[in-house]
Amino acid sequence: MTRNRQIGILTSNLPAWLRSGFVCLCLLPLLLTALPARASDQITAANDVITSMISEVETYLETDSGNIEKRTKNITKLLDKHFDLLAIARFSAGPYWRAANEQERIDYVQTMRDVVIGTVVRNFDQLSGLRFTTIDSQAKGDKMVLVRGLFNDSTGKRPPVSVGWRVITPAMAPAKVLDVEIENISMLVTQKQENVTIIRQNEGRFSALVETMRKRQQAP
Amino acid sequence: MFALSKRSLNHILVAPFTAILLLAACSSVPETKRSDARDPYEGSNRKAFAFNMGLDTHVLEPAASGYRNVMPLAGRRAIDNHIDWTGLPATTFNSTLQGRFENAGLSTVHFIVNSLTLGLVDLTEDPKAVKSQDFGQTLASFDVPEGNYLMVPVLGPNTSRSLTGRVVDSVTNPMSFLKAGDALQTMQTLRPPVAAVSTRANLFEAFNDVKYNSLDPYARTRSLYYQGRAGRINATVGKPTNNRTTDDLFESFLEDPK
Repeated sequence: MTRNRQIGILTSNLPAWLRSGFVCLCLLPLLLTALPARASDQITAANDVITSMISEVETYLETDSGNIEKRTKNITKLLDKHFDLLAIARFSAGPYWRAANEQERIDYVQTMRDVVIGTVVRNFDQLSGLRFTTIDSQAKGDKMVLVRGLFNDSTGKRPPVSVGWRVITPAMAPAKVLDVEIENISMLVTQKQENVTIIRQNEGRFSALVETMRKRQQAP
Repeated sequence: MFALSKRSLNHILVAPFTAILLLAACSSVPETKRSDARDPYEGSNRKAFAFNMGLDTHVLEPAASGYRNVMPLAGRRAIDNHIDWTGLPATTFNSTLQGRFENAGLSTVHFIVNSLTLGLVDLTEDPKAVKSQDFGQTLASFDVPEGNYLMVPVLGPNTSRSLTGRVVDSVTNPMSFLKAGDALQTMQTLRPPVAAVSTRANLFEAFNDVKYNSLDPYARTRSLYYQGRAGRINATVGKPTNNRTTDDLFESFLEDPK
């Protein structure tokens, strides 16, 4: 209190611009220390999501008996918990998300979720024997972190695969995975470019994308 | 020993003309109707893609499946090593053109050391030390524009720049001038199809996923090609491509909350 009064006395005779400059100068060290702290929090949150997700996948693999129903249940739980499905849907629909109406958006998110779950369930066996090691984590702006690592095959039959997880790290919400990069190829960017091609070939009709996805799902 | 063989001469003469004819045969799609701005020849590219997929279904996929089942892991590794070894002269040539003399020196040393085993066994300490370079990357390092997307029958996805690079690499590779004994000549002739089968076998599941499970295998292949090529050019030449990087795409997405 006394200290504040002393600062007040010291600055009261100064012109307004100089007073605000003085305040900025006082706050600058605080800002400079806060920025790396935010980046470090972001990185910790992103690393925690990946560690937790990998640990859950390992548990599921250990107990996996090949029962598709149980596998689907586990994958659905994992996906809903760790992935930002709405952001994935929004990104993968590209500029056509804005043009889509509410029902089309709901249909797309639901169909996309089913397709992703189906793909992971179908290929779940391939994850067996792989061990993930984090190499580094890098903040990409203040809303995203790229966690890079290697999947090594414990049997040595497959070469190591470089994988990057793009994790959204909002300040007031839990961190969630947005994208997976395999050997520097973004799965989400690939999906977006494929989706945009389909919509453009159908004269910008967003519903054509959902129809194509459903047809693919029903194909043997 | 280094005299031009008749077959090599034929390759040299035919390859550029084939590329030019292919380019001339393509009919351009107006920019507003393109599914991707980089792909003005989508119509003819899709036809070439359908041809390549047919070739894959009837030749490459069964061959790769058999190769995976029959060839032991050590044999597959030896073949991959040999294919990498035959690409080293091109890396030396292109690294020199780009002024990357350390990489040029390393690839020369690796080529000489491994020539004792015809490249089948890698005798060097760190095979990953050499960064593979092709003439397409050299052109990128000289800021030559990427050009249009081209799906070439048999050869697969390319850009005009990378296709030019492939032609130049095939012409300048000293291995193609080599006039050696019958055994070596047979190896030379067999190398491209064996490399195709080996690559297909190494990417068996991933390739089949694109081929059988994609919504649009053509569009997916194009995206994978561009991203893979951009990653390779960024990593080895150190220059971002003309396309927006993945980081940029995500950054602008997160800037827009709607």
